[in-house]
Amino acid sequence: MRKRGLLPDLLLPALVLVAFGAAPFLYSNELMLFNFVTFLALAQGLNIVYGFTGYLPFGYVGFYGAGAYGFALAVMHLHAPPLAAMAAGGAAALVLAVVLLPLLRLSGAYFAIASLAAAQAVYEVVSNPALENVTKGPYGVSLSGVFAPRFSYFVALAILGGAFALVVWLRNSRFGLALQAIREDPVSAASAGVSVVRGRTIAWLLSALVAGLVGAAFAWHISVFYPDTAFDLGVSIFATVFVLFGGATTLTGPLLGVLILYGVYNWIGITVPQYFQFIYGALIVGLVLFLPNGLVSLLTARGIRVP
Amino acid sequence: MNIRGALAGLVLAASTVFGARAAPAPAEIKVGTLYASTGPFAAISMPAYDGIKLWVKQANAAGGVYVKPYHKKIPLKLIAYDDQSNTATAATLYNQLITQDHVEILISDSGSVLTSVAVPIAREHKQLLFDLSGTGAPFFSKDNPYIVLMSLPISTLWPKAQADFLNDVGWRAGVRKVAILYATNDFTGTHAKSLAGYLRKAGKETIVYDQGVPTNTTNYSVLINNIAAAKPDAVIELGYPGNDIAFLRALQDSGEKFRYVFTLFGGFEMHAVLGGAGASAMVGTFTYIPAALYPYKVNYGPTVEQFHAAWDKAYPPGSGVAWGADGLMGYMSGLVIERALATTPGMSQLDLRRAVFALSGKLDTLAGAFRLNPVGAQIGEMTPMGQLRADGPHAVRPVAVYPPALAMGKPEFGPRSGQ
Repeated sequence: MRKRGLLPDLLLPALVLVAFGAAPFLYSNELMLFNFVTFLALAQGLNIVYGFTGYLPFGYVGFYGAGAYGFALAVMHLHAPPLAAMAAGGAAALVLAVVLLPLLRLSGAYFAIASLAAAQAVYEVVSNPALENVTKGPYGVSLSGVFAPRFSYFVALAILGGAFALVVWLRNSRFGLALQAIREDPVSAASAGVSVVRGRTIAWLLSALVAGLVGAAFAWHISVFYPDTAFDLGVSIFATVFVLFGGATTLTGPLLGVLILYGVYNWIGITVPQYFQFIYGALIVGLVLFLPNGLVSLLTARGIRVP
Repeated sequence: MNIRGALAGLVLAASTVFGARAAPAPAEIKVGTLYASTGPFAAISMPAYDGIKLWVKQANAAGGVYVKPYHKKIPLKLIAYDDQSNTATAATLYNQLITQDHVEILISDSGSVLTSVAVPIAREHKQLLFDLSGTGAPFFSKDNPYIVLMSLPISTLWPKAQADFLNDVGWRAGVRKVAILYATNDFTGTHAKSLAGYLRKAGKETIVYDQGVPTNTTNYSVLINNIAAAKPDAVIELGYPGNDIAFLRALQDSGEKFRYVFTLFGGFEMHAVLGGAGASAMVGTFTYIPAALYPYKVNYGPTVEQFHAAWDKAYPPGSGVAWGADGLMGYMSGLVIERALATTPGMSQLDLRRAVFALSGKLDTLAGAFRLNPVGAQIGEMTPMGQLRADGPHAVRPVAVYPPALAMGKPEFGPRSGQ
């Protein structure tokens, strides 16, 4: 069964990567395309921890912000080249994830709120005026020396490819099955020989790494940003809503969530911004009422396997 | 010159002239901008947007703006998107204006934060950014010709007026110890730092309290107690309108008295702050006197009285659109752009820049003297120091008190301790 599922699992990401690889040559608002790519990657990153372990971190943006500031600090203080600074961004998110590992002892709403508080704490530290000499405090960083929008776009696309690969691997590997077993019933999974702590830890770290790398790519691409932007709770909310809207544990669900909802978001923002809250709110309320398991549940409920 | 050379020159000149004439005039000049209908910057963004809309409406009612390269009047088309005070959204929308809408004129949203993301984007696309009021010094550099600050002096220069006032008049009145409380954002943070720098350089007053607080701070009670413990003569609070309102209300409730209290938006958005804090909390406080409250002599465009009348006609009192400095800055920026279009040698973005720079030092608008330094930062339009006096039980009126050349009254400091 896993072999039959592998081809569509590979085909879909390949199509998306090719489409977004060609898009900058066809559509010139590259920043909008970049935002699509980052949210696609973030949604898949969140999918790793939420879709496969059931842990929903409201403070997912903390890793994204850590990655952005890891990149910025490496450029500002170490004069690191951008690709090395990208690694620093990913490392910063991993360090934060390790520090926050005890949160995995919580579950459900407690975990979600605790992760949100952790992200806020990191934001407060980074934006503290007393750290102006280190992080530039609340006054934001300017990385105009490494500004390279086209190159950083394709780096973000590569990160998206990596995030897709991780999800494909989890969907088609014993480890991924083990994680899903943990999500459904950790006690039974443990009694069947699955290492619950190890499984959750790896998923948590992988998810954080994706967000950190995406945050680093964001810092590189936009080059001027503030702590409020890098730790904007809206990033967490968007990524979460996109995953829930499309349907977790699949490749297609988060993908559909981003393409539809972020597409609508941009369309509203450009055409009828005065109705933004109304239209977006109505969409989400409709989803919660009628499709609580996401769009893909329309197919999976009929026994159709969705990539 | 031989005949062949002369003929070649004639052909070249003819092709240039007729080629230029052959370039069709566009049906409209597209003006792109962003506004924030919600979020922390809505209070300064929406009035500025209303000012831009008023300029476009007036220009189109007159048949459009004269555009020199086409030798005719062309209507304006305003394209505006809502960034909701979010820099990430703003970045995408600035890109949209440049790459999809292909605007000829790009005006940034109000304030340094929402302007910051536009600076690298405009530079990347070689589009001149008409910076409405983003005074952040890092925006301006020799290697970036694609920015020009339309209103307000650059943030490193602006606080000098207050420092001079304190070192001169304040010192003679016995002001010795200064407290600075500021919201930690690009605008007020830089302002506070520059002010402290000017005061320390002068070496007269001592700064006994220098504290930043998050811009979303709403409770100032404890902070005021801490300030009082430092026993300052002067308390300078630098924040956005919401900060100023919260600070003034808390100060009034606390019963603490200081000889000199300053708020930034007490003058800049006087009516908005008045609505939130009330007249009794504002009377006696010092502030900058914005152009909306000062009758500058003009050699271009309407006087502030004429503009105020036009504003009230477009946005009658009670319509929800308040009269204030930000609206005036939006309108005045439009006027300068209009003048640049009327004098530009061509329609390239660098031609527009040349046209704006050619106006520097020559325009006296309702916002004061329009003067740019070589990197595009505004060094004119300095705001005089002012004090708010009671104007009946429920209103205040601003009185310019410094510098002497612009003063319309004398400053009144609070009583010394123990008096």
